[in-house]
Amino acid sequence: MQRSPFTLLLGLIVAFDLVFLAVPTLVVVVISFTSGNMVAFPPEGFSLRWYGVLLTKPEFLAALGRSLQVGLVCTALAIPAGTAAALALARWRIRFPTALQLYLLLPFTVPLVVSGIALMLLFGRMGMLGAVWPVGLAACVINLPFMIWAVAASVNHLDPDLENAAMNCGAPPTHTFFTVTLPAVAPGILTGALVMFILAVNEFLVSLMLVDARIVTLPVLVYNAIRNIITPDLAAVSVVYLLIAIVAIWLLDRLVGLGILLESKRN
Amino acid sequence: MKPRGTVPSAPPAEEQSAAARTIGLRLLDGLEVVRATLFPHGAGGLTPWLFLLPALLLVFLLVAGIVPLLDTSLRELDRATFRPGEDWTLANFQTLWERPVYTWLAIRTMGAALVVTVLSLLLALPYAWLMVKTPRPWLKKLLLVSLFLPFFIGQVVRAYGWLVVLGNQGLANAVLGWLGLPPVAILYTLPGVMLGLVQYMLPFAVLMLAPAFTAVPEEVELASGSLGASPARTFRHIVLPLVRPGLVAAAVVVFTLSLTDFAMPAIMGGGRNDFIANAIYDAFFSLSDPGLGSALAILLTLAGTTIAGIMLALFGLGTLGYVRRG
Repeated sequence: MQRSPFTLLLGLIVAFDLVFLAVPTLVVVVISFTSGNMVAFPPEGFSLRWYGVLLTKPEFLAALGRSLQVGLVCTALAIPAGTAAALALARWRIRFPTALQLYLLLPFTVPLVVSGIALMLLFGRMGMLGAVWPVGLAACVINLPFMIWAVAASVNHLDPDLENAAMNCGAPPTHTFFTVTLPAVAPGILTGALVMFILAVNEFLVSLMLVDARIVTLPVLVYNAIRNIITPDLAAVSVVYLLIAIVAIWLLDRLVGLGILLESKRN
Repeated sequence: MKPRGTVPSAPPAEEQSAAARTIGLRLLDGLEVVRATLFPHGAGGLTPWLFLLPALLLVFLLVAGIVPLLDTSLRELDRATFRPGEDWTLANFQTLWERPVYTWLAIRTMGAALVVTVLSLLLALPYAWLMVKTPRPWLKKLLLVSLFLPFFIGQVVRAYGWLVVLGNQGLANAVLGWLGLPPVAILYTLPGVMLGLVQYMLPFAVLMLAPAFTAVPEEVELASGSLGASPARTFRHIVLPLVRPGLVAAAVVVFTLSLTDFAMPAIMGGGRNDFIANAIYDAFFSLSDPGLGSALAILLTLAGTTIAGIMLALFGLGTLGYVRRG
């Protein structure tokens, strides 16, 4: 591209974006290594004491454990439900497509605060409150369209002739499904599963309403803590989240490539 | 485009994996027997619905939870007994309409969401363009990773980062003090909430815009350039009109997400810059007035769903991200 004041302006905006996106995260990483008792700049000194605090305070580890549990329940439910739905949507001409789409998009169009209250009241009537797994179920419901999107993107790359060939060679429907269809959409399933897991581990607002003091998840613990006093132990918690995000991005890049999200949907 | 699907390869030489394959095939045979017993002639027209059933049931939980809110919204709280009234009434909606608190709440939320949408799109447009068009692999990767890291870190943790940056003892005021400038108090103000929201929405906006930029053929940009148009003119008259659908989609998503946000106003607004979502939460958990909370919840849900419905009507079914084969 030629150089011009205009491209310079665009470049400056992108540079600003990069700093804007990174600053809060970088600052938190720096603060997590302070040796002081308070969040202050410049940090008082270097130490790992706040990571030690995390390991010695049982409530942090318990909350982290519960959040990982929420992530696993959510992913385990989302993989079959989202994969099957995406295959059905892409494969068959279904009646009332617009109504179906609007219905399946409800988790996105209903505000999260409303979903949280609605599920809290529903789970309460069903006697399901007070356990961790319903939080995973709720996280799956509110993020389900992400899973359907991810798999649907892969289904569009699936050549139906491959399935016809398998059937021609005598494979019964179940064999065809598990040995041809599923492996072909596996990249989409992996992407969706990873995204669902990360979103569930980070899920805050719906958890806030579904958990009580005995079963707080990590984001709710952080939220309750920052309403009182901002201490560096939360910076160490944030770094744990940063590490989880880095691992997820690395996995996503290795498995399917980050560029998958840049592809046009109109091909 | 390179196909990403993998076709099962020839059986591997190792005996171990050959054994595993045999067990796997036996399992599939078993499943096939189950399928053939349940649906000897195939499930016919039911097959798509069987595939859709788990997803439909999961979303049904949401519907089953919201429908009772409709009923609750039509019952006024009896101040004497603190129980919902016996008869249906529109009193809750009337309260929302009449009290200036709620008028200001709606204006504040919609105004802030609008500002956040405009700022997010202005910041996202060059980012998405560069990310899609750059020929340098390292730059593309840097832009992708910088986008995904915050995207994969939850709102609460990101708000905590802003508290550390903008707080009284924070980085921003430390730098200002070092430069000999007076401290700024942006935290716990409406601009502070909007700052946090813009940073939160930026990845969403870029990810909605990127596919639209990918769809712009490079030839038209080159043609425009070779006909003498400056990059600014090319961007304004060629690229922008072509990415308009992506732009509208990004605007709708960012606007609805900002309109319904809870965490940023709660954490960075300090209780004085609440959005509608915070008022719903307070109606249920502080005022103990589920009727009023439900009425607000119904109105906010209607707003979100209507905007999404309009978007579906404008851009068709591609919105869910799939293309059906002809």
